[in-house]
Amino acid sequence: MNGERPVVVEEGAAPKSAPSLGWQEISAELAELFASIKLAMFLFIVLAMTATIGTVIQQGERPDVYIKEYGEEAYRWFLRLGFTDVYHTWWFTSLLTLLCINSLTCFYKRFPAIWRSMQQDKVNIGLPFIKGMKHRAEVPVAGSKERVAEGIVQWLAERGYRVLAKNEAGEATLYATKGIMGRVGAHMAHLSATVIVLGGLIGSYYGFQEFGVCLEGQTYHIPKGKFDLRIDKFWIDYHENGAVKSYNSTLTVIDQGAPVTTKTITVNDPLVYKGIWFYQSSYGDAWDRVEIARLNIKEKGTDKVVGTVDLEWQKEVSLDKLGLKLAVTDFVADFGFNSTDKKVYSKTVEHANPAVRLTITEQPRVKATPVQAAPWIFYHYPDLFEIQGSRYRFELVGYQPKKFTGLQITKDPGVNIVWIGSTMIVVGITLSSFIYHRRLWAKVIPTGAGVTVHIGGNTHKSQIDFQKEFRKLTERIKTINTQIGQEASG
Amino acid sequence: MLRSLFLFDMTFWLYLAALGLYVGYVLARRPNMQLAPAGHPSGPMEGESGWATQIGQVATIVTIFGWVVNTMALLTRAYERMQISGTFAPWSNQFEAMAYVSWAIILGYVLLELRYRIKAIGAFVVGIGFIAMGAASLLPYRYQTAEPLVPALNSYWIYIHVSVTLTSYAAFAMAGGLGLMYLLKERAERRGSTSSVLAAFPDLETIDELGYKAIMVGFPLLAFGIILGAMWANYAWGGYWSWDPKETWSLIVWLIYGAYIHARMTRGWEGRRAAIYAVFGFLMVVFCFWGVNFLLSGLHAYA
Repeated sequence: MNGERPVVVEEGAAPKSAPSLGWQEISAELAELFASIKLAMFLFIVLAMTATIGTVIQQGERPDVYIKEYGEEAYRWFLRLGFTDVYHTWWFTSLLTLLCINSLTCFYKRFPAIWRSMQQDKVNIGLPFIKGMKHRAEVPVAGSKERVAEGIVQWLAERGYRVLAKNEAGEATLYATKGIMGRVGAHMAHLSATVIVLGGLIGSYYGFQEFGVCLEGQTYHIPKGKFDLRIDKFWIDYHENGAVKSYNSTLTVIDQGAPVTTKTITVNDPLVYKGIWFYQSSYGDAWDRVEIARLNIKEKGTDKVVGTVDLEWQKEVSLDKLGLKLAVTDFVADFGFNSTDKKVYSKTVEHANPAVRLTITEQPRVKATPVQAAPWIFYHYPDLFEIQGSRYRFELVGYQPKKFTGLQITKDPGVNIVWIGSTMIVVGITLSSFIYHRRLWAKVIPTGAGVTVHIGGNTHKSQIDFQKEFRKLTERIKTINTQIGQEASG
Repeated sequence: MLRSLFLFDMTFWLYLAALGLYVGYVLARRPNMQLAPAGHPSGPMEGESGWATQIGQVATIVTIFGWVVNTMALLTRAYERMQISGTFAPWSNQFEAMAYVSWAIILGYVLLELRYRIKAIGAFVVGIGFIAMGAASLLPYRYQTAEPLVPALNSYWIYIHVSVTLTSYAAFAMAGGLGLMYLLKERAERRGSTSSVLAAFPDLETIDELGYKAIMVGFPLLAFGIILGAMWANYAWGGYWSWDPKETWSLIVWLIYGAYIHARMTRGWEGRRAAIYAVFGFLMVVFCFWGVNFLLSGLHAYA
């Protein structure tokens, strides 16, 4: 294409020398190419082939996953070709764009003709035209030209054909058509591709998809919706055999300080507020807080358990007998320590090495200032640290983690356009699959005593059915003969 | 559970018997030497003699009976599902889906036979229905029983999305069977074979056209099924399209048939080429239905 351009510019300067290479011809050629069925087939096949890549190679994984499975060299090629995110590469989106251009050009080039043929007549044809049709017959009938033509028109009209007739001195010509909606449907499907892609684009530019880990009782601000969301409750329902039946979260939308709506969402039933959808997406044990932690209190000297206490999250409990005030103030599921900023954090979300931070205020026997400490107590390593100045040792014997509910928060303003396109494609394809466009022509020519009916017809598909219908029509024309005969004798 | 499994088992044996009878019918038939009158290209007229007619009738009866048992099996399974989990869709796992596909294939075949009166097709299409049922019964027992649905599947969308998609698979299976039949007959004709077996088959043009029709049924159904899946995904997964292997593969299958449908509009894409393509397309359907579940991971892994 690029090679031709300079030539075109030259021809433009001297348009008379070679009109065959003018802009009009080039653009006509291009339109022909873009409207072509061959291009459509090519795009369908290439899209089908390239789409397989993303189903075989995992998409959007971390680099080490690919390197481990395919090696470094292969991974470098994957990055170059975009195989780690095939469906968003420039070449895949270009193929989709080409498909849209292809179907739009096809619509632009072919639909006007269909539109015209819905209004125009095609009665002006010659006898050779009928004789050249795939389905054709010649039936000699006794009777007048007008009568026979009328009989055929009536039969066709009864079968839903739109019939046009022209009566001339030497012959009567009929044109009948049915099922143009089949072709209209095909073009509706062609337009739908662009509508769906447009809806997808709007969604990806103006929509968002986020994931929120939310805890029961907490209220979260949804900045993109300018409202708040409170998680009232999360729970799991089970079948009798113990299998999970449903995950449920009760959510309340708080807009401008006042609760607006409350809904219990489950996996197949999201909450929708102001165009933002909240989906029940996952759940799990929180890694940074517990519901209740159970601790054993042991006397250092005797190693005897002197008390067991269940501590609620961040609630201080006084044990006057032991002279203790205890509170669980922090929790990590997988203990990690950052030595630079001296902070404790959870290395993963797994409960691999859980630990609670216990805030202790201990009143010594003899009146003195209380011992204050806030040690980390490890579930798996009970004897890791000793609390200086305390009479006791604390053991974390169990805890009940707080559940979090994983919410997917999505807004997609393009989704309704996608549904419009989807409806168009389903209706369009259905019309074009089950309704087929048929056209019939007939010439009734007087020959001696009676007339000869020349009929011909074509369809773009369902040849067998059309053949049957055509045969019926031929039979019917013969019956016109007998009917007329009966009328004549009676 | 046992009741439906017994009925599924019975369906399997009935389809096997029907297949045997159709093959017997084809073998017993003698070609009709009488030529169709000129100018009237013969429709699907079959000349048969002696045993053939009777075998053919029995084959049809056994097929219809098998289909009725298949229907009963699905209904019984729906009832059993209702008992354990409150949802009834009898296509909620691989086994049930296969049984449903064979139900749809056989229904399609019976309708085709009643309308076009061509029995020889049964040797291929009932064959595919039987293979679908057989493959289902080869699944391990734990896949055959009705477990309660996982939360993601527990939705009214399962009734319509899954059944529509599976019905489109059945239509493509019929097209595949017809394509195979076309290729066998065409090959024999090219070699100049005058075997009476092949003469029992309808003429090439009819097989070609019926195969095309089957695809014309499957194509809009698959489009509808994919879109219903997208609507479901929009409710369950938080997005209508996520390039999950199953949805990508169903799109691939749809694109493959889309190419076929456009190809039919151009010259030279009828007959042999179309038949090869229909068989290839059906293999892709099989991969989409079975291969993806067992070879690729993804959100549809439970089905």
